[in-house]
Amino acid sequence: MRVEEWRSQSKRGTLELCILLMIEKRERYGYELISELEKRPVLAAKESTIYPLLRRLLGEGLLSSCWRESAEGLPPRKYYSLTNTGRAYLQTISAVWEDLSAAIQEIKEA
Amino acid sequence: MDKALENYLDQVDRHLRHLPASDRADIIQEIRSGMLELAAAGQDAAQICQRLGDPKELAAAYLGEAIAKSPGFSWSRLGSVMAFCGLAGLSWMFVLPFTSVLAVGLMFSGAVTPLAGVVQFVLSLMGISVPYVMFQIGSYTAPPAVAFPLSIAVGALLFLAGRWLWQLTVRLVQIVGQQYQKLSAQ
Repeated sequence: MRVEEWRSQSKRGTLELCILLMIEKRERYGYELISELEKRPVLAAKESTIYPLLRRLLGEGLLSSCWRESAEGLPPRKYYSLTNTGRAYLQTISAVWEDLSAAIQEIKEA
Repeated sequence: MDKALENYLDQVDRHLRHLPASDRADIIQEIRSGMLELAAAGQDAAQICQRLGDPKELAAAYLGEAIAKSPGFSWSRLGSVMAFCGLAGLSWMFVLPFTSVLAVGLMFSGAVTPLAGVVQFVLSLMGISVPYVMFQIGSYTAPPAVAFPLSIAVGALLFLAGRWLWQLTVRLVQIVGQQYQKLSAQ
């Protein structure tokens, strides 16, 4: 119970970082992000978390989106990419993350 | 598309009725796209519905994010707060409508009070006395010249109180939303 709570709290912020990092590489659609996250159990998140999260990032102007037709037999997909604001934001939070993990490492080794 | 899936989308759509129509259509289209991807990956309708979870919870997650996005006030966001309360569960059904409606009432009074002050001031300049518009606290009735600045000050205070209460409501929704996610994650 205690561990679960801690896990879900640390996941909230890191999930946003991971999603932005994936979208930075190339434009992505929701189902792709969910499947990609699912390969790493510690990050796995349900549709009910990822879709609303993407929508919030979109509303905040960090992401832009566009609907595209896909191959035969597959539905149109909503692709997300980073805006300039999103890119700047990602750089900042990545740096914070680096600081955080460096600090943890330092404390462990001290 | 399978009947069960259409039915699922209808339910989510119904719970999102307070969001702007274009947002709602986009949300539903994205969920539908995700469903079809899952179906193409070999999952049947029952598995897909189970994976997406309770349609109410999914809608609540969208509403929670939409409300939390910015602290500003608009009528459609008041609707979202109300809808969110309905989805968040009984314990919050009382508190959130109370704070949000009171917030709207205070902001409204804050706008009306200075307006009444202006009306009375202008009319008194023209030598007309209106018995229905006056500034009264207990047995003290302010003369028109004093009532005018007083009504603006009181109006501003009421409006600020209303806005503060609205921000509190949004903050509460964020907290409830997080609790809600925590519960559904277990």
